[in-house]
Amino acid sequence: MGIIQVSQVKSPWIMHFCNSSCNGCDIEVLACLTPLYDVERFGLVNMGNPKHADVLVVTGPVNYRTARVLKNLYDQIPDPKMVIAVGACAATGGVFHNCYNILGGVDKVLPVDVYVPGCAARPEAIIDGVVLALQKLSKAVGVAK
Amino acid sequence: MSLEWMLAVAILLPLIAGILVYLIRHYQTRGLIVIVTAVVLIVNSIYFLRWGPDTFTPGSPMWGTIITILDYAMLLFYIYVGLSLKNWLVLLFALTQVIPLAWWEFGAGASTALEKISPAFVIDQLSIVMVMVISIIGSLICVYAIRYMYDHEEHKKLEKSRQPRFFFWLVMFLGAMNGLVLADNLMWLYFFWEVTTLCCFQLIAHDLTKEAINNGARALWMNSIGGTAMVAAMMYLYFTNGNSVDYLTLSNIIEAGRNGSLGATLMLPVALMCFTGMIKAAQMPFQNWLLGAMVAPTPVSALLHSSTMVKAGVYLVIRLAPAFDPVLGVMVAICGAFTFFAASVLAISQTTGKRVLAYSTIANLGLIVACAGINTELSISAAILLIIFHAISKGLLFLCAGTIEHQIWSREIEDMEGLAEKAPLTTFITITGMLSMFLPPFGMLLGKWMALEAVYVVPLAAILFVLASAATMVFWAKWLGRLLQVTPRLGRKIESLSLSYTVPLWSLFAGIFAFGIGVAPLYDKFVRAAVGNVVTVQHAFAEGWNILIPGAATTLSAEKGIEMLGSYPVWPLFIVFAVAIVLPLLLVSLKPQELRPVYLCGEQAGDVDTDEWYGAADQKTKLELGGYYFKGAASEEALNTWVYLIAIALFVIMFGIVVGVSL
Amino acid sequence: MNPVWIVIIAIVVAPFIGGLLAGIDRKVTARLQGRYGPPLLQPFYDFFKLLGKSKIATSRTQYVWIISYLVFMVTCLVFLVLQLDLLLLVFLLGFAGVSFALAGFSTKSPYSHFGANRELLQILSYEPILLLAALGVYAQVGSFNISEIFKQQTPLLTSLWPIFIALLVVLTIKMRKSPFDIATSHHGHQELVKGIMTEISGPYYALVTLTEWYELVLVLGIISLFWANPLWVGILIAFAAFILELFVDNINARMTGGWMVRFCWAIAIVFCVLNILYLYFINMKGVL
Repeated sequence: MGIIQVSQVKSPWIMHFCNSSCNGCDIEVLACLTPLYDVERFGLVNMGNPKHADVLVVTGPVNYRTARVLKNLYDQIPDPKMVIAVGACAATGGVFHNCYNILGGVDKVLPVDVYVPGCAARPEAIIDGVVLALQKLSKAVGVAK
Repeated sequence: MSLEWMLAVAILLPLIAGILVYLIRHYQTRGLIVIVTAVVLIVNSIYFLRWGPDTFTPGSPMWGTIITILDYAMLLFYIYVGLSLKNWLVLLFALTQVIPLAWWEFGAGASTALEKISPAFVIDQLSIVMVMVISIIGSLICVYAIRYMYDHEEHKKLEKSRQPRFFFWLVMFLGAMNGLVLADNLMWLYFFWEVTTLCCFQLIAHDLTKEAINNGARALWMNSIGGTAMVAAMMYLYFTNGNSVDYLTLSNIIEAGRNGSLGATLMLPVALMCFTGMIKAAQMPFQNWLLGAMVAPTPVSALLHSSTMVKAGVYLVIRLAPAFDPVLGVMVAICGAFTFFAASVLAISQTTGKRVLAYSTIANLGLIVACAGINTELSISAAILLIIFHAISKGLLFLCAGTIEHQIWSREIEDMEGLAEKAPLTTFITITGMLSMFLPPFGMLLGKWMALEAVYVVPLAAILFVLASAATMVFWAKWLGRLLQVTPRLGRKIESLSLSYTVPLWSLFAGIFAFGIGVAPLYDKFVRAAVGNVVTVQHAFAEGWNILIPGAATTLSAEKGIEMLGSYPVWPLFIVFAVAIVLPLLLVSLKPQELRPVYLCGEQAGDVDTDEWYGAADQKTKLELGGYYFKGAASEEALNTWVYLIAIALFVIMFGIVVGVSL
Repeated sequence: MNPVWIVIIAIVVAPFIGGLLAGIDRKVTARLQGRYGPPLLQPFYDFFKLLGKSKIATSRTQYVWIISYLVFMVTCLVFLVLQLDLLLLVFLLGFAGVSFALAGFSTKSPYSHFGANRELLQILSYEPILLLAALGVYAQVGSFNISEIFKQQTPLLTSLWPIFIALLVVLTIKMRKSPFDIATSHHGHQELVKGIMTEISGPYYALVTLTEWYELVLVLGIISLFWANPLWVGILIAFAAFILELFVDNINARMTGGWMVRFCWAIAIVFCVLNILYLYFINMKGVL
């Protein structure tokens, strides 16, 4: 357990990607950054660029158009990386399930580490999801207690 | 070898070689003659270095007569050019030279006295420095031209080769320059001055396009103004000193300036000759002839910018520095500093590679002229070091520009995008050349650093220097950025270049490093004596391999009793440079493990080696990036009016003061 | 003390100071925004995390320029602690800046590219101020060597306060704080994607962060020279300037690059120029 592994758990930078969501979850994701919730307490920073991200936060169901983009962005994130699917649509397709243009949940395209349910997912739930992802990461890198 | 022979080789051999290449119209033989001449000139310049200071006047008076005849032949040719091109400026300034000259020699009966001025040649360390710069760098450029001109004509699909003519002027140029920097007799100096102007005109107009001829004619009339000023200076010196030719040698003018024996009457002729030098050095507002010279084939530009022509201008200004009145010195410094500033800012908006190089040359010449104007030991050292380093770096850069031009057949900076992948070798040399123009640890920056440490005596010039150095960084970095901006290509290979290209390129490349690292010994053994030809040398600036400037070097620090003015650790900085640039290339663990496509919002249309993305309606669109040129703020259209106004005003003020003081 | 030890201590200690200052920056900024903020050591966690990421790049040459950025910045710091030539230090700082811009240029990415162009605008803005500051120091002290500044009994701030004010502008640009976060910006701002940093990721990002810490210490060190005797006053002044920047950052919006250049040339440089001219005439009076 080196300093790099400890740091990986203490400094997750997230990138937020919206597939074809109704923007309900997106607003909740951004709400996490506000003074009320302030996820920066955990070292979380919202990045606008996959090259700097550690955690990909995806909202909304994957459609045929965004699948390629989602895959591309995921490929551009340097290892190690985590994916969190936020909201019912990102998990399964939600109310858009079986629509003509919808593939389904994010796990149709990417390996998802944590699902955060809810429509829309509440900020507390999203923070909980991120903490869960960090625990999973710390197990993976061997820092877990 | 005797001095007579050395002078003959330096001045006449290029002429003979020129005639030979003109007569023998055969590619290989021509190459051989040029290479042999180059080698002989280089060896000869080393002989000059070993010979040391001396004077020489040819025994036979025949040479004086020949030069007088050739003078008139050239001036008549200018008149012919003016008439045949219907270019009245050329005609006008040819007449302003030929009429006073003829009246003076034949009307006023000075011709026999003028042919007997002695000494004809004075060899001192400053001229030796110049001879070495001209012979070594100039020769390398001529070697480069052998293959370049072949490719040039191949590309233009000329029916009848015009190379013999080209090489005649090119090689002869070196001889004229050698003569110019060695001559002490003003009549001879004037003659060589005119020969360089003539060569310059012929070479610029070489391609015979309308633009080439026009730009050549512009170079001709602008430099003819300089010639006129020189004739006026000589006549003034002759008539104010009771029709005697005593003061028609550089050494006597300088001597008179040092001991003040001529008083205020010396000021006007010195200012006029300084003006001549500044025109040749393309100082604002006369920068246009050098910019126009860009139409010529690249070896010509390389020659004009690095070792010959413009360097003749700054040489004359530095040479006359001991005779400067302090007020004249300040004005020259401000003119030079203004040129440095204005040219650096204008360079930002240029889109053509060679024009950027041209503006950079003008800027650096401004810096050198300003250093000569400041006229202290420190600033003159800076000026001479700048001449040497500028010749090497700019020579290299022009040769690189030529090589790039022959690979992409364009001079536009925008077309050079991604050259680091297309031609890695050329790009590597070009980047090194560019870095050596403006960044530590290289010699050009050392010179600029010395200049800035010396410039405080003229605070206006100091401020202009500072603003100009910032602009310098921007325009070089912009161009460098275009070269580096690449989409990685898989399976790239290094381009192969002809030996005629690579030998000069690598020689100059090695020169940048050799002289850059060895600048302190170079200064101590070579430049310091040359500085001594201009100002009294009192301090040692070099200590071992490093440059240390003692506090006594400037008046302000001497007053405050400071021990050390500044220090420039040369060796350590080169080690830092090596660590910074070379180490990453060697250390495998720092290299990227994998190349991934750039961030295009996830819409990139392929792997690393494509620069396409899915645009509207899923159409594949090519990614295009352009450079910033700040056309609104820094373009010639926006600034030229102001630049010309200020530059002309500065010259008017300078001459106003000079005339006011001397009358 | 042996200069070698001074250099080693400076190179080792400077990143810790820089990192801590960055931590204070984030904490204070968060408090100003009514948030709790990350732990003080957060910049170090970020740094080590980035070191552990995989080394991916978009071009073969970019990392060379990043390393040269770091190496030249460290060299600048060495110049400062060894009290060598201030003017040369500024030129070296210029090389560091150009290297970083070239790192941005050396990939065909639109965000990185415009970030690099803006970085050049920043150089155009702050380089003359720094050079003029060196000239101003010379006008006051009579030497470009930093060691001579420490021999002065009267602090530089008394006669060079306009240049000091101009240097605060340089500090804002160098810290990439609003209104001058033109080329790239720090946490929480995404409008530029990440500007010049867009294609710099993982360990290379860590190197850039490290360089920025060195840079912060360096610029604050230069500011502290304005009260070199005793030095602790200078350090306090530098720290106060640092805290001032955080307030400036939080009460300003980002301005355009053109505005930055105009502001620097029309106000900051004029401050420097007037200061130097004033000192010149004072010195001239001494001569006459």
